[in-house]
Amino acid sequence: MKLLFPLMAIVLEAFMIVLFGYFVKYETEQNTIQQLNSTNTTKVDRSLELYPLFQDVHVMIFVGFGFLMTFLKKYGFSSVGINLLIAALGLQWGTFIQGIIHHHGQTIYIGIKNMINADFSTATVLISFGAVLGKISPAQMLIMTIIEITVFAGNEYVVGEVFKASDIGASMTIHAFGAYFGLAVAGVLYRPGLRWGHEKEESVYHSDLFAMIGTLFLWMFWPSFNSAIAETTEQQYTAIVNTYFSLAACVLTAYAFSSFVGKRGKLDMVHIQNATLAGGVAVGTCADMEIQPYGAMIIGGIAGIVSVLGFKFLTPCLTEKLRIHDTCGVHNLHGLPGVIGGLASIVAIALGASKGSSMVMQAAALGSSIGTAIVGGLITGLILRFIVRVQPTTEFFFDDSVYWEVPMGKEVDDE
Amino acid sequence: MPHRHGQGHRMGSKYPPSMRGCLPLWILMLQVALIVIFFFFTSFDTSSQDPKKLMGNFRVLQDVTIMAALGFGFLNSSLRRYGWSSVAFNLFLLALGVQWAVLMDGFLEWSFRKKVVIKLSSIKLATMSAMSVLISAGAVLGKANLLQLTAMALVEVTVFVTMRMIDRQYLSMDNHVSMMHIHVFATYFGLMVAWFLSRSLNERVTEEKNQTTKSSSLFTMLGTLFLWIFWPSFNSALLDIPRERRNAVFNTYYAVASSAVTAISMSALARPQGKINMTHIHNAVLAGGVAVGPSCHLITSPWLAMLLGFMAGLISIGGALCLPEYFNRVLGIHDTCGMHYSFGLPGLLGGIAYILLIIYEVTWTKQSMISYQLFTGTGTLSLAVASGLIAGVLTGLVLNLTICKGPHAAKYFDDQAFWEFPHLAIGF
Repeated sequence: MKLLFPLMAIVLEAFMIVLFGYFVKYETEQNTIQQLNSTNTTKVDRSLELYPLFQDVHVMIFVGFGFLMTFLKKYGFSSVGINLLIAALGLQWGTFIQGIIHHHGQTIYIGIKNMINADFSTATVLISFGAVLGKISPAQMLIMTIIEITVFAGNEYVVGEVFKASDIGASMTIHAFGAYFGLAVAGVLYRPGLRWGHEKEESVYHSDLFAMIGTLFLWMFWPSFNSAIAETTEQQYTAIVNTYFSLAACVLTAYAFSSFVGKRGKLDMVHIQNATLAGGVAVGTCADMEIQPYGAMIIGGIAGIVSVLGFKFLTPCLTEKLRIHDTCGVHNLHGLPGVIGGLASIVAIALGASKGSSMVMQAAALGSSIGTAIVGGLITGLILRFIVRVQPTTEFFFDDSVYWEVPMGKEVDDE
Repeated sequence: MPHRHGQGHRMGSKYPPSMRGCLPLWILMLQVALIVIFFFFTSFDTSSQDPKKLMGNFRVLQDVTIMAALGFGFLNSSLRRYGWSSVAFNLFLLALGVQWAVLMDGFLEWSFRKKVVIKLSSIKLATMSAMSVLISAGAVLGKANLLQLTAMALVEVTVFVTMRMIDRQYLSMDNHVSMMHIHVFATYFGLMVAWFLSRSLNERVTEEKNQTTKSSSLFTMLGTLFLWIFWPSFNSALLDIPRERRNAVFNTYYAVASSAVTAISMSALARPQGKINMTHIHNAVLAGGVAVGPSCHLITSPWLAMLLGFMAGLISIGGALCLPEYFNRVLGIHDTCGMHYSFGLPGLLGGIAYILLIIYEVTWTKQSMISYQLFTGTGTLSLAVASGLIAGVLTGLVLNLTICKGPHAAKYFDDQAFWEFPHLAIGF
C-alpha cells in the first residue's frame, strides 16, 4: 500500500507526457505554416490579452480553493498540498480530454483559452474534493480526478454544443456539477462514525484565519472567473460588472443572516468563509446577460441567504438523515447557489434579458449537469469503495499525519 | 504569523550597544545617498508610449512584484521562530535591491554618459535582478543581521548586473537567457555566504530553533503557491516577440504542473511509510519552472517542457534527500531554506537543457555556427556559476569582519534578536 500512491502518480505523469507528445501542439506552429505574415502576430497578441484573466483564475484555483479548505485543525497540509497535486494533474488531463472531445480526436492546438478551460475543469474536482475532504486518500483522489474530469468534459460538451445553453460563469457545469458529484461520492464513502461528529473535525482560531485567506482571494478574483471565457468584450464587461455587484450584495446578506441565525447574534466564521462567495456562483450563468446591476444584486442577495440557511439547517440534516457527510459544505457554497444560477438564467430569459439560449435548453442543461454529476459520482464512489480500497479508517479521518511528515516543532504560542 | 509571546518581553534585544546606534544610521545614510544619486542621475521617461504596451508592461511588473514580495517573503517563513524576520527582511531587501538595481542597470547600459532614463521596463528588470538577493537570502536567513544582509544585497546586485552586461556584450546572449541564470548564480552566491556564516553553528541551536511548525509550514505553502502561479509571467517577462512569449507561458505552465505531480509523488515514495514531506513540497514543486526557464521560448511542444519538469522534480527531491546531510556535516554549509535543491540544481539542469537544445536546433538546421553557439551557451552558464561562487566567497569574508559582526550563534534563527514582541494575553 505504501507504494501505491507514488507509483500511481508517477505512472499517470509519464502517461500524460506520452499523451501530450502524441496529441498536443502549440497553436503557433499551425499558424506559422499557414500564414507567415503580420496577421499571425496580431492573433498571438490577442491571445496574450487573455493572460491576466488566466492568471486570476490560476490564483483562485491554487491559492483560493487551497486555502479555503485549510479550516480543519489537523488537516491543513492535505488541504493545500493535495489541492495542488490534483489541480496540477487535473489541468494536464483536462487539456487533453477537452481537446480530444472538441477536436474529435485530432491533434490539439492549445492556446491561453485552453489553459483557462483546463483550470476550470480542475475546479470541479476541487469542489468535489471539498465534500470528501479528510475522508479519502491521495491515491483515491488521483482516480477521482481522472474520472471526474472526463465526465465533466462530456457534460460540458453536451451543454455547450448539443443544448447550446448559455453558462458563462459555469454555475451549472462546474459548481452544481462539482458539488453533486462530490456529494454522491461522499454518500457512498459514508462511515457511521461521522454521524455524531468526528473529534478531529473542528477548526481552531488560526486555521479559520488561514481559510479566510482563501476566501478573500476567491472573492477578489471571482469577476475574472465568471468573465474569462466570454466571446466578446461586451459580454466580458457585463459579466465583470454583474459578478462584482452580486458578490457585494451577497456579503451583506450573508453577514446579516449569519448573525440572525447565530447564538446571541454572533457571526459564524464558517458562514463568512463560504456564504460570502455564493453570490459569485449564483450569478455565473446569467453573468453575461442584460440583467442590470440590480438584478445581479438580487441574485447575489438570495444566494447569500440560501447559503447561510443551508449551512445552518441543511448540512446537519444531510449528515444525519441522508448519510451524506459534506466536510466543507460544498452543497451550500456551490450546489445550491449553482442551482439558483440555473433557475435565475431561466427567469432572466423569460424576462427577455438574453436571446442567446432558450428556457428549455437552460433547464435541460441544469438537469443534465446534476444528473450526470450524481450518476458519475455514484459510480466513482463505488469504484473507490470496492476497487481502490485505500480509504483510511474512521479514526484517521481528518488527520494529516497519515500522509504527511508533520513537523514536531511546537507553536511559539503554545509554550 | 502567530508568533505571539505569552510572557511578553522575556528577553530584551541583545545587540551590542554600538550596533543599535549604527544599524539605523547606516541604513538611513544609504537611503539618503540613494535619493541624492537619483536626484542627480535619473529622470523619468517622458516620451509618449502606446497605452496598451504600457499596461502590458505594468501587468508583468505587478506579477513579478507579487512573486518577489509575497512569494519569496512567505517561501522563507518556514522557521518557527523566524517568521517575522523572514517576511520583513525580504521586503527590506527587495526595496533596497530594486533601487540599487535600477541605478546599476542604467549606469552600465549608458556607461555613465548621461542621465539614466527610468521606464516601467527598467523597474521590471530591476525587480527581477533584486530577486537574486531574495534567493540568496533564503540560504543565509537566520544567520545574518540586517546590516550584513544590506551589504550582501548591494554586492550581489552589482555583481549580477555586471554579469548580465558581460553576457550581453561579450557573449551576445539575449536578455532573457542571461536573466534565467539568476537561479544558479544566486544559489551559489548564497551558499558561499552561508558557508562563512555557519561556521559557529552548533547542533544544539539548529536542532532547537531550526524547526517548522504546522502553521509556519502553511505560510510557506502560501509563498510557494504564489511563486508557482506566477512563474509563467516570470519566465516570459523579458521576451518581446509575442510568439516566444506565448511559448514561454505555455511551457512553464505545463512544466510546473508536471514537476508538482512528480515532486509530491516522489516525496511519498522516498520516505518511510510513504508519507509526504511538506518541506520537500515547498521547494520541489517550483523546480520545473526553474529548469524550463532558459529554454522556455525555444521549446515548441509541451511534452518536452513536461519532461523537463518531470526531471527537475526528480532531481530536486533527490537533492533534498541526499544533499543536506552532506552539506551540513562535510562541507559545513547550512542552507536554511534548501535553496540549493529548489533553485540551484534545477537551474543547472535548465542551463544544460538550453545548451543541448541549441545544439540540436543548430545541427538540425545545418548551420555552421555550432561551436560558437556551444561556446556562448556554456560560457554564460559557467560564468553564472563562477561569478556566484567567487562573489559569494568575497562577500562572506567581508561579512565576517568585525565591523558588521553578525548575531551570536545562540541567537540564530530567532525573531527576538530583532523584534519587539507584542504583549498579548493568552486566550480571548
